[in-house]
Formats: sequence, C-alpha cells, structure tokens
Amino acid sequence: MIGLLGASPRERLDWPLFLGVVLVSVAGVVNLYSATSPYIGMAGREGIADVYVSQVYWLVVGGLVAIFLAAIDYRFFERLAYVLYAAGIVGLLLVWVLGADVRGSARWIQLGSFGFQPSEFMKILLIFAVARYLADDSKTEPRTLVDLAPPLLLTAVPTALVMAQPDLGTSIIYLLTVFSMLAITKIRTSSLITGILSIGAAAAGMWKFGLRDYQRLRITSFLDQEANKTGSGWHAFQSRTAIGDGGLWGAGFREGTQNQFGFLPDQFTDFAFAVFAEDWGFIGCVVLLGLYCFLCVWAVNIASQAKDRFGAAVAVGIGAKLFFQVFFNVGMALGLVPVVGITLPLFSYGGSSVITTLAGFGLLMSISIRR
Amino acid sequence: MSFLVQRSDVGEFRRRYRWLVFAVLLGFVGLGVKLVQLQIVDEEVHRAQARRNITGEIRLATTRGVIRDAYGRVLAANRPSYNVYVVPEAIDLKATWPVAAQLMALDDQEKQSLEERIAKIQATPSARRSQQILLKVDVDRNVVAALKTHEADLPGIQVVPVPVRYYPYGALGAHLVGYMREIDPDTLARVEDQGYRAGDRIGAVGIERRWESYLRGERGLKKVVHWQRAHAKREEMEARFLEEPRTVEPIPGRDISLTVDIELEAAIERAMRGQLAGSVVVVDVRTGRILAAFSKPSFDANVVSGGSGTSAIREAFNKLYTDPLKPTLDKTMSAAYPPGSTYKPFSALAGLADHLITPSTQVDCHGGYEFGRRFFRCTGVHRNVDLYQAIVQSCNTYFYSLGEQIHIDRLAEIGLDFGFGVKTGVGVNPEARGRMPTRAWYTRRQKGAFRGGFTLLAAIGQGAATVTVTQLALAYATLANGGTLYQPQVVRSIETSDGTIVQEFPPRVRRIVEIDHERLDLIHRALRGVVYEKKGTANKERLPEVDMAGKTGTAQVTHVTPKGIDPEKTWYFNRDHAWFAGYAPSDAPEIAIVVLVEHGGGGGLNAVPIAMRVVRDWQKMKAERLEAHTTADRAAAAKRSTP
Repeated sequence: MIGLLGASPRERLDWPLFLGVVLVSVAGVVNLYSATSPYIGMAGREGIADVYVSQVYWLVVGGLVAIFLAAIDYRFFERLAYVLYAAGIVGLLLVWVLGADVRGSARWIQLGSFGFQPSEFMKILLIFAVARYLADDSKTEPRTLVDLAPPLLLTAVPTALVMAQPDLGTSIIYLLTVFSMLAITKIRTSSLITGILSIGAAAAGMWKFGLRDYQRLRITSFLDQEANKTGSGWHAFQSRTAIGDGGLWGAGFREGTQNQFGFLPDQFTDFAFAVFAEDWGFIGCVVLLGLYCFLCVWAVNIASQAKDRFGAAVAVGIGAKLFFQVFFNVGMALGLVPVVGITLPLFSYGGSSVITTLAGFGLLMSISIRR
Repeated sequence: MSFLVQRSDVGEFRRRYRWLVFAVLLGFVGLGVKLVQLQIVDEEVHRAQARRNITGEIRLATTRGVIRDAYGRVLAANRPSYNVYVVPEAIDLKATWPVAAQLMALDDQEKQSLEERIAKIQATPSARRSQQILLKVDVDRNVVAALKTHEADLPGIQVVPVPVRYYPYGALGAHLVGYMREIDPDTLARVEDQGYRAGDRIGAVGIERRWESYLRGERGLKKVVHWQRAHAKREEMEARFLEEPRTVEPIPGRDISLTVDIELEAAIERAMRGQLAGSVVVVDVRTGRILAAFSKPSFDANVVSGGSGTSAIREAFNKLYTDPLKPTLDKTMSAAYPPGSTYKPFSALAGLADHLITPSTQVDCHGGYEFGRRFFRCTGVHRNVDLYQAIVQSCNTYFYSLGEQIHIDRLAEIGLDFGFGVKTGVGVNPEARGRMPTRAWYTRRQKGAFRGGFTLLAAIGQGAATVTVTQLALAYATLANGGTLYQPQVVRSIETSDGTIVQEFPPRVRRIVEIDHERLDLIHRALRGVVYEKKGTANKERLPEVDMAGKTGTAQVTHVTPKGIDPEKTWYFNRDHAWFAGYAPSDAPEIAIVVLVEHGGGGGLNAVPIAMRVVRDWQKMKAERLEAHTTADRAAAAKRSTP
C-alpha cells in the first residue's frame, strides 16, 4: 500500500498540485486571521478571533487524510464505492435524527465537541458512486436517457436529502458536479435536449414549490441589486462594497474597513473572499483566482491522463466540485450569482469543508501518481 | 509532463477534456470581468460607500440671531435646552434601557412605545442602527444631571444640548416677533435644498418667519469616524478616513433690531386690560416706522416654540385655534374691519376736492337723512352743522348728504390714495388687503343694480369698505405729516452677532398725497376739535395732560351667529367695533395711533380712553428719554471741559 509503484515518491509526486494546494491553504489561514481580527480582545467574542487556529488544526487533520488517500490506490474506492455511498446516505439520514439546528437548518451532527457535516463528505462519496457507474458501464454509442437514469438517481437521493435540511448550496454543487462528470461521456443529442428541457422544467417547479421563502427572497433581491441595499440585499451590497473598496492594490492586510468595522456578514465563512478582496485588491484576487483556476484545470489534466475510467471520472468530479464551489462562492460575493450558502474551499472556516477539500486533493494526487 | 494528452484505455471519454478546460477558463474570466468592474471601474463608488459606512457627519448647531426692540431690549434670544438621543446599535434593551427610562422619568406607555421602536431598528440590518434616535426633547435639568452622572453606565444614551428660542416678554408683541415650530414635511420638501432637515425648527410667524433666512445662520459640520470597533487610535483613523476640511465652523445668524418700542407695547397692554379683544398700532408719522403693533388676545411664544415639549405645544395650539377671539390672528394687519366714522376725514377731503362741499356748506341734521324710501339714521340731532362741526360731532347726516352727491368711485379713489385697499408691504404677517368698494365691485358682487344708498353708507365708513388697523394708522400719519404716505417699517437694521451693522433701512416714502393746504388745515382743526371741543366725540374721555387729535368711530358689524359659539355669548359678537384714530401732539404730530376694540361698543366711550392712556405713557417716556439724553450730554460736556 505504501509502495509507490516502483518510482521514488519525489519523482512521482505531483508538485504543481501540491504547491497549489499549500499556497491556497496558507492564504486561507492568513485571510481568516484578518477576517476575525476585529474580535481580538473583544469581550465574549474571543472564540471567534481564534478560529484561524482551529482552521490550522483542521488543515493538519485534512492533510493527514489527504496523505493517506494519496498513498493508497484509488481503485480501492472503486470496489467500495456503492458501500461508501450507502454509508453517506445513512449519515445524511442521521442528520434528520440527531441534527443540530443552526440558523434554521439542520446540517450538523454533533460528536462530542465537534460537529460535522455529512453533506460535505457526501460530495466525495457521490463522486465515487457516479464514477463507479460510469466506469462499469463502458459504451461506444451515445448514451440515452435510460443509460443516464441510474447515475441521476444516485444523485437525486442525496440532493433531495440535503435540500430538505435545507441547504440549497450543497444540493446545487451535487447536481453540477454530477452533470460535469456526465459531460465527459457521449450523450445522444435528443436525450441531451430532453434532459436540458426537463432540468428547466424542474427548476421552474422548484422555484414554485421547492424553495423556502428566505431562499426565494435571496434570489429576488439578487435580481434587483440596486433596490435592495437594506434588508434582504444588505449582505450582498456590503460584500460588493468591500470588494470594490479594495481597488487595484487593496487596503492591506487587516486594513479593510468593511471587515474591520463589522459591515461584512459571515466574514470568516461564506464571505471570506470579500475580506481577502478588500485587503489585497484586484492584484491579490487575480493571483488567488489564478491559483484556483490552475487547480481546476490541473484536475482535468489529471483526469485526461488517468489510466482508467474510474480515475478519470473521479478527477473530473473533484475538479468540477472545486470549480463550482469557487465560482458560486466568489460569484456570490461579487454579486454575480444569488447568495446561497456555498463555502470557498480552504478559505471558509469549517472542519468538514477543509477535510473534504483536502481529501479530494489527496485523491487527485493518488490518481496523478498512479497514471 | 504532457498536458491534456489522453491515454488510450478510457473509451468514450474523448476530446471532452478540452471543452472542460474551456468551460473552467470561461467561468474564471467571468469572475475576473466582474472583479474589474467592481475594483477598477467602480472603485471610487465603492470606496465612497465604504467610507460612508464608517464615517459620519455631526451637524454643529448655530446660534439664531437675536431680535431686539428699538432701544436694544431683547425680544427673542436663545437658551440651552437638552435633548436625549439613543443609538439603537449601542444600547442594551435589557440592562441599560430600564435604567435610562427611569432616570428620564418616562411613563410606562412612553417607555413601551420607544422600546418597541428601538427593538425594531435593532432587528433590521441597516445603517440606521448607528444613527441617533430622538428620545425626549427639553428634558429637565435634574434629568440632565442624573444622565450625565451615570453617563459611563449608559452606553448608547446621549444628552445633546440644543438652543431653544426664548422670548423674555412672553405674550407681549408675540404676533409681531413670532415664534418657532418644528418644520413640517411640506415645508421641508420646499426648503430642503437650503439645508433644512427633519426635526429642525423654523420661524412660524411674524419677524421669526419673514426674516428666517437672516436669523437662521449656517450650521457647521464635523466629520467623525465611528471607530468603536477598530484597534487603531482615533486620531490615526480620522487622518486616514476623513476628507478635509474635517470641521466647518457654524456661522451665527444675523441679529435684527426692530423699530418697535417694547415699553410702548407694554403701555398698550396695560391700557387694553379692560378689553377682551382688539388691536393698537402706533406709527412714527415722520418715518412710517411702526412703534408698536399690538393684537389681543395674544399667546405666549415660549409655550408654542418648543421649550415645553410636543404635547404642551399641541395642547396650546388646540386652545388657540378653538378660541372664538382668535388669538392667533394678527389683528393689526391680517384682518380688515369697517372703518366707521374714522373714515369721515377722507370722505370730507374727497367732497372738498370735487367742490361738492365747501368748509361753509351747512346741513340741517334732524337725526337722520331720508333717501329714497329709506331713512338713514344719525348718531343724534345736530341741527345746523358745517364740515368742522360734522367731524367734531361725527354727524352722519352731513356725510349722507355728501354721499348723495359724490360718486362712490371717488370715495374709493381717495381711499386708495391714502393706502387703503392695498397691502402696505409691512412684511411681518400675511396682510389683509381691505376693500375700497367701487360701483364695478358692487355690480360684480351684489346681484341686482347698484343702489345710491351704498354711497351714503360708504361716506360714513360703513357698508362694504374695510381697512386694517395698520392701513388706518398710516393714513392718519399721512394726514398728520401733510401728505406723505410712508412705507411702514418694522425692521430698522440687521447686525452681525458682534454688533456690526450689516444693513440699515432708511424710511421709504410710498407716495406724496396732494392735498390742498387749507383743506388739510380744516381737517387738522376738526380732528383737534374732536378732542378739545365740548361737543367733540372724544371730549368726555379726555385726559387733561394729553395733547392729541383724532377721530372716533363706531363701526356696525354684520349681525351673525358665529359657529361654535355659545348662544348666550352672541350678543358680544354682534356689538359694534370701537375705533379711535388720531395723532399726537396735535399741533406738531410725531406719532399716529389707531385703537380698535373689537365689539367694544361706542368708539368715544371705549376706544378713546385707551388711546389717551397710551399717548399719556408715550409722552412720559419721551420726556424721560429727553431728560436722560440731556443729562448724558451734560455729563459728556462736563467731561470734555475738565482736562
């Protein structure tokens, strides 16, 4: 298991991937420190000022997980894919029973003093299951809707469960990740059109019946940004202000006033990017988004060179998950997409998110090493 | 290392990777474009918003100009008052609020409604959370002291000193000086571009209103950083985030000196104590300056100006507006009354000018005058009277006879010449125009034909003709000074707060009324006769030490039953108005005085004593001033000669 297929680890280690992840992680911790610095020494809020330390712990835990995943052959997960998937579903169901209520939605399971989010881990487990199906079901002719039905069904179950928590953001990530994985297969044109049309219909139905009032409000206030600077659009407006205030060069580390004076909502979770953008400006944002972009493209590259279909599909899935999380989170801070709770990988504070993200990179490394 | 080179054994996964990379790049380019828009194109917009979030402007109060009378006595000034504000973001509704409410002695209902309001603002995320909300105006000094003592324990509660208008003479001259009120939304919409804000006070009536732009001054400005959450030093933050200039000092308003003598006003008030309602105006015949303008009943400008809180103001206004004696009406200029016999000198001048009568024309009065099928009554049986006697004894018959000959438009013309029927332009309160009815006016107004009887009534100042007290005073001043109709003035000069005169208003002549010297002399003699002749209508109430000439008047009012008045009291409202219009001293006039006692009854009996007392006091004040002057001159002369 430890033997790395004959070659020395140094030789086969995917250095660009490794360095990219390390740089983003370091930037994320530094940014967390800035984001929570207004709370330093504030009575009753000291805990918030220390989250960057916890984030380092999570990074260490996640790093260990990643090393472990990189070290073992990913094909091990191909065999266990459906079992793991079932376990993940059980975890999501457990949230229903044991879920801790945070701001009106039950997403966490409390284990001792740690709360973890099964929906985060489910992202990887869903990728495994869909990749396994695609790997097993090798075809030469274009796929029909019937062929696509099993992976879509695999996706529908956790999506529905997460949606019910309610967690719109994570369910969107599930769907888009799986769609991306299916996109690398050949699909019959008529099936593709039918599929897109039915997704459209489903979205309309969701809007009418599936969304909660606050979720709908976020979307309507997104559509009318100018009119919604107070109330429902307040957070998004302050986020755009923070980013714009950064300008070309940024206000400097811990100098962004929007964050320092408490105008940013969720500044160390969903809106961490706004803190970064105000501190480091356009230059900093281009570097950071460049790193994310590189990681996404690199995941596709690893997929293209994977030696089997499972590895390729997993790599695409992880790349897609990374891409959509970055796109939605940053897009949300920029006012490009509505405010939905999606974390920025390695920037937003949260153990489950960090571990899942690093686990993903560990898998990518494993696939890259074993090409 | 190869990039995007596909391996052989992955079946259908072919050539799709390039599209995936393309999609990823497209996504990031999209984010990048939006970043360029926010951080580079619109940087300034967002920078400005971010600054607005953390900085604020405190408006520095300015001092409203002081209003003084002709001798420098303060009629309107400012006193400190304290308002309590709360910052919703900073206050703890559970711990701090009950203490603060108790210290302010709020009642339960007030406490409850304010608490709900604060909680509501706290619950909505917006910039309003950090803005001051007004809790209570003009709190008691003890409360101020208590709040100041506990300041450290009451975060979010702020005590702010605000100047409040103070009127040392209270109700005296209140119509003229005016008062202040909180600006209402309609007015605010009109004057917002002049820097007024909701909650500001604005002059409501009188000089306070008309001279608002001078009195007001300009507010200052101080920029601040809401720095409570930052770890930087305040000075550093201010230097970094505040644009220069950080402070704009307030400019105090201009002081205004009036032509009015508040002591004369007080003398009028004393003289009028026996009467319910009425008005007195005293004018300097040599300048047209208003020396006193008195309207009764009055109101305490301090009560309605906000010194005592909103509910007290509302209560005071309710009382003022429901009073049938109309205390809010400035009866010196905002209301017009039939002049009655005080108009007779003008009718006489018209008749003389048209050669319809001569000074020696005699009319036999047997208590009235038959005209058509009607009998027009006189005030008594005067037998043979000439013009002099007709004025002295106020014989109506004489003037009915004149009225039969004269055209009504001529009576109106002479009235217009003397300034009736047009606003005088005194510039204090809204002026009534009064009315000099013409034939055209009657045909337009009265259905049916013009009747000759209208002219008979017009000749004795009855009928449709109305004048304001100010107009009548200016017209008598014109008679007194030989024909110069002045523009009435109330403001003598405008000064800066340190006393430098900015602008002075010299007397302004409106018109020279051409009157034949002999005819005017006759009128002067007749008006003197009214007071001095045994048969004169003012003779009975004459004070021996007072030298005055003038004309009494008893103006009939239209019999009506005013709405909302106790039927038991309607007799009062149907009683005649008592007039006296005249000037003093009788041979070398200095002041013109008009007294109107609303529903006072006969002018000779009711208005004359008031005029007598006012002129007596005026004479006394004049003598005292003269003495003070000569004493000062002598002292100065003595000083000059000693070294």
